[in-house]
Amino acid sequence: MSPEPILVEQLSKTYQVPEREGGFGAAVRSFFKRKYKDVKAVEKVSFRIEPGEVVGFLGPNGAGKTTTLKMLSGLLHPTSGRASVLGFTPWERKSDYLRSMTLVMGQRNRLSWDIPAADSFLLNQAIYRIPDDEYKKTYKELDELLELEPLMKKPVRNLSLGERMKCEIAAGLLHRPRVLFLDEPTIGLDITGQARIREFLREYNRRTGAAILLTSHYMADVTALCERIIIIHHGQLKYDGGLTDLSRKIAPFKLIGVMLSDADSHDLSRYGTEVQNEEDMDKRYLQVRADEVTRVTSQLLADLPVHDITIADPPIESVIEQAFNQ
Amino acid sequence: MHFLKLISTFLKVNIQMSLAYRADTVVNILLNIMWLGWELLGLSIIFNNTTTLGGWGIGELIALLGVFRLINTMMASIIWPNTEKFNQSIRDGSLDYTLLQPAPSMFLVTFSRITIWRMWDLILSIVLIVAGVRMAGDVATPLNILTFLLLTVSGAIVLYSLWIVLIAFTFWFTKFDNNVTILQALLDAGRYPVSVYPAWVQIIVTYLVPIAVATTVPLQALRGDLTFGRVLIFLAVSIVAAWVASLVWKAGIQRYSGASS
Repeated sequence: MSPEPILVEQLSKTYQVPEREGGFGAAVRSFFKRKYKDVKAVEKVSFRIEPGEVVGFLGPNGAGKTTTLKMLSGLLHPTSGRASVLGFTPWERKSDYLRSMTLVMGQRNRLSWDIPAADSFLLNQAIYRIPDDEYKKTYKELDELLELEPLMKKPVRNLSLGERMKCEIAAGLLHRPRVLFLDEPTIGLDITGQARIREFLREYNRRTGAAILLTSHYMADVTALCERIIIIHHGQLKYDGGLTDLSRKIAPFKLIGVMLSDADSHDLSRYGTEVQNEEDMDKRYLQVRADEVTRVTSQLLADLPVHDITIADPPIESVIEQAFNQ
Repeated sequence: MHFLKLISTFLKVNIQMSLAYRADTVVNILLNIMWLGWELLGLSIIFNNTTTLGGWGIGELIALLGVFRLINTMMASIIWPNTEKFNQSIRDGSLDYTLLQPAPSMFLVTFSRITIWRMWDLILSIVLIVAGVRMAGDVATPLNILTFLLLTVSGAIVLYSLWIVLIAFTFWFTKFDNNVTILQALLDAGRYPVSVYPAWVQIIVTYLVPIAVATTVPLQALRGDLTFGRVLIFLAVSIVAAWVASLVWKAGIQRYSGASS
């Protein structure tokens, strides 16, 4: 058995998607003769994740994130390649494997709509064969972190989205999985809701040492939880490494913000590329190559009536976007 | 043991779900009482006008109705609701969660919904069977009763296997919502002894799609009409059916995980 919880080698998945032109004639023709097109959802992706690691799995819509997570949780068979999670081959779907991992999909419901979550939890307890004392212990812990108790008595349909998500996540963790695959766990939640789930995941990871592979469209989730990120685009791995290294590799730029006494009258184009920063409208911002920062700064200070100056890394969102587009 | 515990947990959860909506609950109870009245009325009309049907006397027909209702209870309380849930779960993707649970998927798909309102039909079916047998004046030997019970179970297994195959087709066709309507239509033919039907229908419902195995055949066993060899054949049919169904199901799941996105 391999010591690392997740090992992925050259994993590929190709879908056959029915394809036809628009229009009535084409619809009738396609009824009799289907044409299929191969869509490469994931192409030769490799990575490994160590125990206790929290890794952000990023990419634009349709990049292959969900497909990868589904292969790793055993729902999909890959077209080629290998994967091993906790020493199991996921798509063999052995009971012992299913009992030691979880997949939480933010856009799908696992809880029954008409009954309180507490009853669905008991059903899970029976299916996962969790002994009573262990169940109570885990539930108490989850309750402590997520404040579940007040939500347990209401039918799930009467819960708010944020409350429901807490219950969904808890339902996925009752069996104390050692590997967590989270697909957009904070989708649709407000800022406080997102922050709560984030805080919970961090604490859960700290307490249990479970490995977490997480996709999210909210960069805050990623920056708060993950030291390491994996970026895929068009099914291919684009980047695998530290979050902080990413800016250095992908976008070796700094942002220099200057506050000038008569802000609009100066032409800054000869110092660097001017960029918009909506969070701070008082300053004007220049994107400058990292190795040029000292020179440009002293030049700015010498040439212009500078009141205030800041030097910062570009926001991670824009760096990642740049990484997607490379 | 574990599976019995699971079924009882499913049952509990389903009772809770059924009780969640009060008006719905009341309507369900009323509907079921009406339905029963309707069935008894239909039966009395038939027997006020004739005393035999396809060579069967009134007592035997009542017992047949009992078996038919027994099978129908299985349809109404387990097969229909789970089909609905299954079709929906394929469309909204919640089948993924079912497949991730560490229990056989065929089992989970079969028992996750149980319509409890039809469960009391079980009692009615048994009453009908017992009353029918006594009315017919049959002196059923213990052996006849045993084969009757065995064949009722094996008949249910045959129907169940047919159902599994039908819903598993959804994995290939993506949308196949009328899957169980076919089964129900065939089953309705089992309301009367197969011998009332023309020969070609008899052949279809006995051998091709063996619905009669689930209804008429157990009764024939009770009447002592079946040879030992035929009993064995019917038992073997149910074992083969269950085996084929589980193979088709496995292939379907394989197909699902190969093709879905």
